[in-house]
Amino acid sequence: MSGRECDDALTNLYRYLDREADVISAEQIRAHLDDCSGCLRSFDFESRLKIVIRERLSEDVPAEFIQRLRQAVARESTAPL
Amino acid sequence: MQFTRQLYSAAMRMTRNPSDAEDLVQETYLKAYRAYHTFEEGTNLKAWLYRILTNTYINKYRKESRRPSEVDLGSVEDLYLYRRIGSEESAEVARTTEDRVLDGLVESDIKKAVEDLPENFRLPVLLADLEGFSYKEIAEILDVPIGTVMSRLHRGRKAMQKSLWEYAVKRGLVPEGAERP
Repeated sequence: MSGRECDDALTNLYRYLDREADVISAEQIRAHLDDCSGCLRSFDFESRLKIVIRERLSEDVPAEFIQRLRQAVARESTAPL
Repeated sequence: MQFTRQLYSAAMRMTRNPSDAEDLVQETYLKAYRAYHTFEEGTNLKAWLYRILTNTYINKYRKESRRPSEVDLGSVEDLYLYRRIGSEESAEVARTTEDRVLDGLVESDIKKAVEDLPENFRLPVLLADLEGFSYKEIAEILDVPIGTVMSRLHRGRKAMQKSLWEYAVKRGLVPEGAERP
């Protein structure tokens, strides 16, 4: 649990969770997480939080609105959206 | 029609009410149909639709916005929520509290935490955390540099964690005495 490796891992935490870390730094992070239970726990928490946020932000679309939307776009061109 | 649920969910968090969200989504689809000939086959349809949604939102609603465009982060550090939960607890207790917070934060808490972000932070957070767009896609959708996307995401997420902590305290999800500032 060297302080410097932990700092590096934390700096890159969101890039990693957002799948934006390059291959080499992702590899370094994974290797560090194998060794450091403290960082592993924080990464695990952030990744669970990310999932919770996504799931609980999703909305059901009101059925009447879908109906209205279909009618509105039916009057438009025939683009295959 | 593809992506209706996603576009509607994003529109709800942008406009903060169902009737404006419906108008926004409908306008987005109509514009998309009218402009479909400008869409390049094989490129990212979802990102294209979000660009239309975002631009329509900004043009239509931004004028009315009087909200601050900076977030006051004070001394909010990285991993704010995690560190609050885990501070001065044994790993086991902290883990239980983590589970309770993640289970116990209800939809309305999370929606409110996003909606309370100023718009220039809210949009990147929505695009990344609700939709999973890449930084590059977000930069293209919002027409800002990638570095700006990353810093706004960083600050926006911190501000969100601060609100989520406040909701967790309010709901009694964290142990007594943990709610010091």
